[in-house]
Amino acid sequence: MENSGNQTPQQKKESKIAKPEKKEKYRMRLSDKIIAAVLAVFFICIFYIVLDANKYRTTVRIMPGEGMVGINPSTASLDFGDLSRGASAVRRVALKNGTNLPMYVAILKIGSISDLMDISKNNFKLKPRSEEKIEFTVFVPASAEIDKTYSGRVYLFKIPIF
Amino acid sequence: MIFALPKLLSLGLRTPTPMAAITSGSMWPVLRQGDLIFIQGIGAKDLKIGDVVVYRNQINDTFTIHRIAKLEKEFITTKGDANFQEDPPVKYDNVVGRAVSVFKKPLRIPYIGSITVFASNFKNSEYVK
Repeated sequence: MENSGNQTPQQKKESKIAKPEKKEKYRMRLSDKIIAAVLAVFFICIFYIVLDANKYRTTVRIMPGEGMVGINPSTASLDFGDLSRGASAVRRVALKNGTNLPMYVAILKIGSISDLMDISKNNFKLKPRSEEKIEFTVFVPASAEIDKTYSGRVYLFKIPIF
Repeated sequence: MIFALPKLLSLGLRTPTPMAAITSGSMWPVLRQGDLIFIQGIGAKDLKIGDVVVYRNQINDTFTIHRIAKLEKEFITTKGDANFQEDPPVKYDNVVGRAVSVFKKPLRIPYIGSITVFASNFKNSEYVK
């Protein structure tokens, strides 16, 4: 058995230092909590907007000749079918806002077809309980490669405005 | 550095307008909407058919970037690669310069020029109105 009474002042000092320190529990401050909550809401909003976006696959095949339109494709997707140089095709998408909130509509087009496609309306405000028709026009320029299929995707984002 | 860059480019490329943003698809697919290109000053005798040149369009007082299709004594005729028709003849005096090329293709920085395009599109969009 050790007798603490027999310890020298030096030994006493060392035993004090050797004592394991009590771990301090990290507690979030109020400002941290607010920032975390704001970030969580922000990411949920982004997630909702991306998930709620209308997604369309778009495609057009270039055929030989000039100003000719080939097979009439379905209107279900943004399929522009077969087009020759100088020809154009239009597809319409009806966008409905069934909520009581105005929506900001932003359309994003990606892929090789995006350079050939024109959108009638982009970055606009859709009133509550209203409908808007958007026209997607593909025009095949003189420099388009024959027998090549240009494809891509169109994302239609609806962002509620509070 | 950012402010000095256009001046340095201007001196190096011998032109008062060393950069331009592509705002249309008339030169697609060589140049795309939103590209930033560099322009070098060039003498009339150095121009060749097939060169991509920048000239001041007298009709709407804008710059046009198209490819030379014909070279004549007093005029040049240009055409956008994606266009079906040639442009009206342009006087040599209106030619600002030639697009800087690397391996016979115009040097372009994608999307950087789209800042200008986006700003002009947003200004004209209905949301702003």
